[in-house]
Amino acid sequence: MSNGNTDATNGDTATETQTNGLSADDFALYDRQIRLWGAKAQEQIRNANVLLVSLRALGTEIAKNLTLAGIRSLTIIDDEPVVEEDLGAGYFLRDADVGKPRAEAAIPRIQDLNPRVTVTSGGSLAELMSKDQNYYAAYSVIVACDHDFTTLNVINTGARVAQRPFYAASIHGMYGFVFADLVSHEYVIEREQSNMPTTIKPESLTRSVTSTSSKKEPTGKTTEIVQKREIYCPLLLANSSPLPKEILSNRRKLKAVPALLPCIRALFDFQRTFARLPDHTPQDAALFISLAKNKAGELQLPQDTLTGDFIKSFMQNIGAEIITTAAFVGGRLSEDVLNVLGQREQPIQNFALFDFETLVSPIYCLYSPPPELVMPALNGHVGLLNGLNTVAVPIAEGVVPAAEVLELE
Amino acid sequence: MQRRDRGTVQAVGAPLTVRVKNSRVLLIGAGGIGCELLKNLVCCGFGSGYIPPNGANGIPSPKHTPGITVIDLDTIDLSNLNRQFLFRKQHIKKPKALVAKETALPFNPAVNIDAQHASIFDPQYTVAFFRSFDIVFNALDNLAARRHVNRMCLAADVPLIESGTTGFNGQAQAIQKGVTECYDCNPKPVQKSFPICTIRSTPSQPIHCIVWAKSYLLPELFGTSEEEANDMVETEGDDQEEVKKLRAEAQALKKIRGLMGTSEFAKAVFDKVFYEDIERLKSMEEMWQTRKKPVSIQFDTIDKLSAAEGAALASQDQQSWTLVENLAVFCHSLATLTGRAQAGESSIDFDKDDKDTLDFVTSASNLRSHVFGVLLHSEWEVKQMAGNIIPAIATSNALTASLSVMLGFKVFRGMLAAESETATTNGHTMVMKPNNPPLGGSKFIFLNPRSTERIITTQNLARPNPACPVCSPVYAELHIPPVDADGNGMSTLQDLVGILIGNNDYAHFTISTEAGVIYDEDMTDNYSSPLAELGIEPGSSGFVTITDDDEDPRADLVLSVTAAPADGGLSIESHISYGKLPLKPVPAAPPTESGTAPDVKSAMNGIALLNREKRKRGAGDDGDDEVDAAAAKRAKAAPTASDAVVTIDDDGAILLDD
Ligand SMILES: [Zn+2]
Repeated sequence: MSNGNTDATNGDTATETQTNGLSADDFALYDRQIRLWGAKAQEQIRNANVLLVSLRALGTEIAKNLTLAGIRSLTIIDDEPVVEEDLGAGYFLRDADVGKPRAEAAIPRIQDLNPRVTVTSGGSLAELMSKDQNYYAAYSVIVACDHDFTTLNVINTGARVAQRPFYAASIHGMYGFVFADLVSHEYVIEREQSNMPTTIKPESLTRSVTSTSSKKEPTGKTTEIVQKREIYCPLLLANSSPLPKEILSNRRKLKAVPALLPCIRALFDFQRTFARLPDHTPQDAALFISLAKNKAGELQLPQDTLTGDFIKSFMQNIGAEIITTAAFVGGRLSEDVLNVLGQREQPIQNFALFDFETLVSPIYCLYSPPPELVMPALNGHVGLLNGLNTVAVPIAEGVVPAAEVLELE
Repeated sequence: MQRRDRGTVQAVGAPLTVRVKNSRVLLIGAGGIGCELLKNLVCCGFGSGYIPPNGANGIPSPKHTPGITVIDLDTIDLSNLNRQFLFRKQHIKKPKALVAKETALPFNPAVNIDAQHASIFDPQYTVAFFRSFDIVFNALDNLAARRHVNRMCLAADVPLIESGTTGFNGQAQAIQKGVTECYDCNPKPVQKSFPICTIRSTPSQPIHCIVWAKSYLLPELFGTSEEEANDMVETEGDDQEEVKKLRAEAQALKKIRGLMGTSEFAKAVFDKVFYEDIERLKSMEEMWQTRKKPVSIQFDTIDKLSAAEGAALASQDQQSWTLVENLAVFCHSLATLTGRAQAGESSIDFDKDDKDTLDFVTSASNLRSHVFGVLLHSEWEVKQMAGNIIPAIATSNALTASLSVMLGFKVFRGMLAAESETATTNGHTMVMKPNNPPLGGSKFIFLNPRSTERIITTQNLARPNPACPVCSPVYAELHIPPVDADGNGMSTLQDLVGILIGNNDYAHFTISTEAGVIYDEDMTDNYSSPLAELGIEPGSSGFVTITDDDEDPRADLVLSVTAAPADGGLSIESHISYGKLPLKPVPAAPPTESGTAPDVKSAMNGIALLNREKRKRGAGDDGDDEVDAAAAKRAKAAPTASDAVVTIDDDGAILLDD
């Protein structure tokens, strides 16, 4: 396998190391989190190589969280020069770093958080844009922050062809989103056994229960172990997918859909057309408003969802980085990544919105089944079609199946 | 404003950024949530100070010197490092507060951090100390400290942001006296305890055997405490005859302590608790009619491993030990603890981080589990149950600390609105809506880890519970004058009683301190005692409570004690004029949907603390608050033109001085 990254990864690391147990030092250091998700999940986390694209405020939080949790390696791609504005939320950067490439400047301080993790720079974004699926296959999860729609799609496509989970996220002042394309993801949920046994059946358009079992706890209670599967679609499809039926058919739920959703879609469109963020000019505002109205219509939202006040507030926030939003969105994304690596807990399916002005944070499943060959309609990436197999394949062959993870009794 | 502040200014507006820069913030706790909170506060510039260029008007002057004070009692442990990201391996055993400051300072060189390695219960943290802050953030890990800070913040009338996490769960809320419910408005769950007979006679779960080893066997052999452990209590269901016999059993065990240090000690202890006591239990047939009978074991019939093997096994905390292995670790830990006791340690109590006690509790509880047919557990698992370890991860702390600071911003937005109904900034007039939502639209926020529908859930902040003993009293200050060089001018209880009767219109009343009642109509023995002798003196963090014993009693008056200003006499400083204390809330009032019974409500409304009326909320549901938040936002952004084409000029929001 040839890929441009020699530092952090060397092929199928997941398969090579899955049998290694955790050391006594690992147990001592990671004690409190192993008590939450168990030793097997921690082992899978320790065997994970994560690719993080962009190290602005959001990337900073994600890098911190994943490094603390003890993944095997973190590869960061951000070769943009540090500017003074980055110092506000970029707490791994100092005044003296202004002008240096962002990832290279911050990496020593990220590395310092946990010597057990290998933290390296993955080179330039331009290089990443020309990588094939072999490059992506070397990673357990790919996370891309703060990039425009086209860039996110290129990375999403690469990850999907390699059948690797992909996350995209952005923050704009008090607003943000997380998108997930985990291709097909199997996971377990443990809960106290209730009188109603869980039945093996589809639970939604994308989620199904695949098996159930139970175990006795030291407290005397019985825990039910439910194995589920979620199937996903790429960002390109999600961005044009309608809201799920149960939202569209429920007036109250439809009314509760925040105006943030059409605004984020409008922002994607704006960036695609102009290759920049909207400015605070009347022209850009007018353009943005018409795009947002379009998207609100497309989503079948009620007329009064999109208010002038909200658009004003959103446009004022576009491009702004504030640590609180970065910490929350980055923290929640990191939690999802760690759970996906450990194959535990419900992952985000597939679009989480964050509005900290009104303190709401809904998740919507914006899903259309990915027909083969639909995705790489992007110029210059036809090569990614080789070996394309999009539907319902377990993500990483090297990862231990969830049933074995729990040592069922 | 610096370029590094640009993101914050753009997101929350310049006036609010200036307000938080000029704030004084108290952060209590530098652990999991505390490290994250400190990072957020520092990066947003809280307490970094801002002096407007050319003395621009309209910007409120700081209450006191801006800054962040962080207090923590703890030192750093290896198991903290997976989430308390301001600490490194080389910091282990150093004070959390000091290291947190050292690591966080370079995040924003403009910020002022005062780090204190101390307990928040220490007497120097008086009500006056709390009052010197604009806001207090709790990042604590225990109920007692949370309740203490809650009370101090109520007394000081300072808004408190309370937060907590467990595993993937987390929550944050804003608390302010008279506006919202307080931390103690709802009873908190107490620590779980077990009936004594379950622990001593009929264990059926591993936790029963662990509590037995930790709270009975270990203290009987190596402790001095005469008190009963609080996780094991006598309940009504316990058979009194059996309880008596258990007492006798414990006495017999105490005698065996005399053998400590001799070669028979391990055998004597073992045979006493795993053979003789079990044989006695087995003979009580009625006890085993519905339960599985225990199987006693004898020291001499079990294979012995060498002392070295016992020590080696003790380091393997992940694997479940066999009966033979548990005996080896039992003997090993008994020998180690004996060594410590004989070296002069008078009382060895269980501590999950004291390996010897953990070895003892694990092996003894496993041996007992074997006897009662209960599942055996590894030391790592026993440690969690015995030590009440709560799983903790970096991300939940990060999420919760972020919500705390978001609430902090909202509280400051509310303060800004209250401080100036109209203010001018950069030539723009900010028009604030007269009825601002309480605490700037703050909510009670929960993380919602397993939901497929939402990441957080919010609730509107509830009104204070009128029957709450902690937040329903009126808090005021008792000023005590200094004694002169000749020892004259010492205030007495009689002086205090005089003030209450004379100035405050009291007739029948009781005065009590944390130590108990010091005065009522039938108890005048302390009448001429100096207040200092009764523990009432400036600098003490305790409160003095005045309870009205009249037919229509007024609310309790709770006094914090400070030194009177120069030339000042003994006096009570209150926000409420004398004689106007509200009536005591009717305790019977159940929390109705509005949270208050009508008559109580009018009484509560009588508390005219500061401009509180203005902040009082209406019926308010989510919809209303959204409107209010949007209004505040609108007022913040520069006022602009029409609905059709929106122009956003950023001069009101972006201030950069290069
Ligand atoms: Zn209360």
